[in-house]
Amino acid sequence: MSAPVMQHPSSTPTLGYAAGIGTIFTLEIRQRVRSSGWYIMLGIWFVVIAAVVGLAALSVGVDGFGAGQMMFELVVAFVLLFGMLIAPALSSNSITGDRANGTLAILQNTLLTPWQLLIGKWLAAWVASLGFLVVTIPLIAWAMTYGDVYLPGVPVLVGMLALELAIVCAIGVGVSALANKTLFAVLISYLLVALLGLGTLIGFGLSMKLVQVEVKASEQFWSEQNLNGDSSVAWDDNAYSCGTALYPQTIFATERNTWLLAANPFVIVADAAPRPLPKPGDDSFTTVGPMGAISQGVRLSQAGQLASTPCINGIKNTEVKPEEATPLWPLGLGLQLLLAGSLLVAGRRKLHTPAGKMASGTRIA
Amino acid sequence: MKSEVPSPAGPLGRNQHGQGGISATGLARSFGRVHAVENIDFRAAPGEVTALIGPNGSGKTTLLLMLASLLRPDSGSITVAGMDPVANSSGVRAVLGWMPDTLGVWESLTGREILTTMAALYGMDKKSAAQRAAELLKLVSLGDLADTPARVFSRGQAQRLSLARALINDPSVLLLDEPASGLDPGARVQLRTMVRQLADSGKTVVISSHVLAELDEMADAAVFISKGRTVRSQTLAEAGEQTRGYTIGTLDITALRETLQARGIEASYVQDFDSARGSAKTRLATEAEAAALLAALVAAGVPVTAFAPSSGLLEETYLSLEEGAS
Repeated sequence: MSAPVMQHPSSTPTLGYAAGIGTIFTLEIRQRVRSSGWYIMLGIWFVVIAAVVGLAALSVGVDGFGAGQMMFELVVAFVLLFGMLIAPALSSNSITGDRANGTLAILQNTLLTPWQLLIGKWLAAWVASLGFLVVTIPLIAWAMTYGDVYLPGVPVLVGMLALELAIVCAIGVGVSALANKTLFAVLISYLLVALLGLGTLIGFGLSMKLVQVEVKASEQFWSEQNLNGDSSVAWDDNAYSCGTALYPQTIFATERNTWLLAANPFVIVADAAPRPLPKPGDDSFTTVGPMGAISQGVRLSQAGQLASTPCINGIKNTEVKPEEATPLWPLGLGLQLLLAGSLLVAGRRKLHTPAGKMASGTRIA
Repeated sequence: MKSEVPSPAGPLGRNQHGQGGISATGLARSFGRVHAVENIDFRAAPGEVTALIGPNGSGKTTLLLMLASLLRPDSGSITVAGMDPVANSSGVRAVLGWMPDTLGVWESLTGREILTTMAALYGMDKKSAAQRAAELLKLVSLGDLADTPARVFSRGQAQRLSLARALINDPSVLLLDEPASGLDPGARVQLRTMVRQLADSGKTVVISSHVLAELDEMADAAVFISKGRTVRSQTLAEAGEQTRGYTIGTLDITALRETLQARGIEASYVQDFDSARGSAKTRLATEAEAAALLAALVAAGVPVTAFAPSSGLLEETYLSLEEGAS
């Protein structure tokens, strides 16, 4: 009972802002790294991705074209896909779990502020989900050995991927602070992530009816040397002229509804990445892999179907100057940050103690 | 209240700032339509152990949560160590130790890690946190289990860890919600000694418990609450002065009955059906009266085998309140 006296200042103790966040972060990570389920999940993850990338290497590598880029983009797409599936589970348990465990009130009773708690939990969930990116580094390195990966795109793709995981984790932690039951928190987080991933696609698809327009198209006339004999032509923008017999054609003015796709995580990551400029005189694809395909698809959709209709009102569409496509990802990222930010702010209000209003059937401790 | 605590600066008592204890008046708090606390007045003085007594669901935990700055009262005012927990929650938290009735432990962490984490959340540096954790683990006899994950702790061990956790910031006000539940008899005695020492070193200690006999031995004052209201506040000295029930055991029930009746004392009698043994239950106003009666019985030659209060001091009040309520 007479242990040595510990000297500590008699003034009121204070807790530094970063120190509080750091303590919560360490507390979370410690618990995470001690669960064996975590390592099993990472192991399975690595095997699955390695198999997919390996198969891609085999099938694409046959003609030796674009194998590295394909493999790299597959890794990015898979990490993003599984990140969307795993990150909500990692983060939405973080506060509801403490609530159920009776440990949340203990943390709230210290000098810790709600923001420190939220930020610490969010950083921990983010770092944990980045683990899924880190274990794929050997596969990315493998893709690099093919030498055809477009290097300026690599840091952007990886960085945006990490940013998307951070946003999903913020959504999960925010929902977790708001919800009283873990199951409910997980469910709502998944629904919100599905809203971004699938809801944007569904919204885009359903809005097609609204952007349906009728235009007057006309036939194209090709010079002899472009006709291949069968019904196909060797495309050349300068080698056709438009007929004067106009007929109505229904097209979709997708330049008006493509913004609905903006908040899609895949669109944000793909759209933000720089693309190699097509070499002059080389018509071959400049994009291989899923991210490139998404990027190109979105750019085409932004241009609108009108842009790819050769003859409108008897005029070649190449004579109508196409509008410069503005990048879509800043809008999407803004929407996502707004969603995640408002969830965190609402969660912070819920975590404020002394607690005022409380949902029925809940208790502080 | 100065007593024989080894050193006023021992592991239990150093931090003397924030004099003033706890004072709460007119507290009310409801959850939706449930009025958990309707009108509670509560006082706890520094250097004393104040017992909080009431049946299940009477609002004890809600009151403690309000005192611990976790719950905002709908009305009424609270002062903890001179500060308002609603207006200055961080000030209150710095000097407050709270041991909840739920065992909140991080299962994959060891006892030592839990304590050092908590110390860090009170702004302690690594070195003093480690020292404080080691000190407290020893104090609650968990030294051997310090580096074992809390998952394997028994309920009593988790309870002791929870007490150590509440003491990590060397609080001047200590709120203990059912600290004895799940403890074995040895640990209960240890807890009693510890609580007594904490109070004697100048801390304000509030303890809620159902084991009233135990509170008799460590509490200086008691606040009884029922259905969200304060029904009585009394000191143990006051409790000692009230009428108490006594049980008198004898080998000869007839002799006992005659002597008591001769002195005009009303009692209820129970007799063994195959012998003259039996016992009488009566009520006596003061301890002096009890001593006089015992002397008289012995002088009259009644073979007395037992002469003791039927219940503890606080239990007596508790039971009289229940009688009054029904």
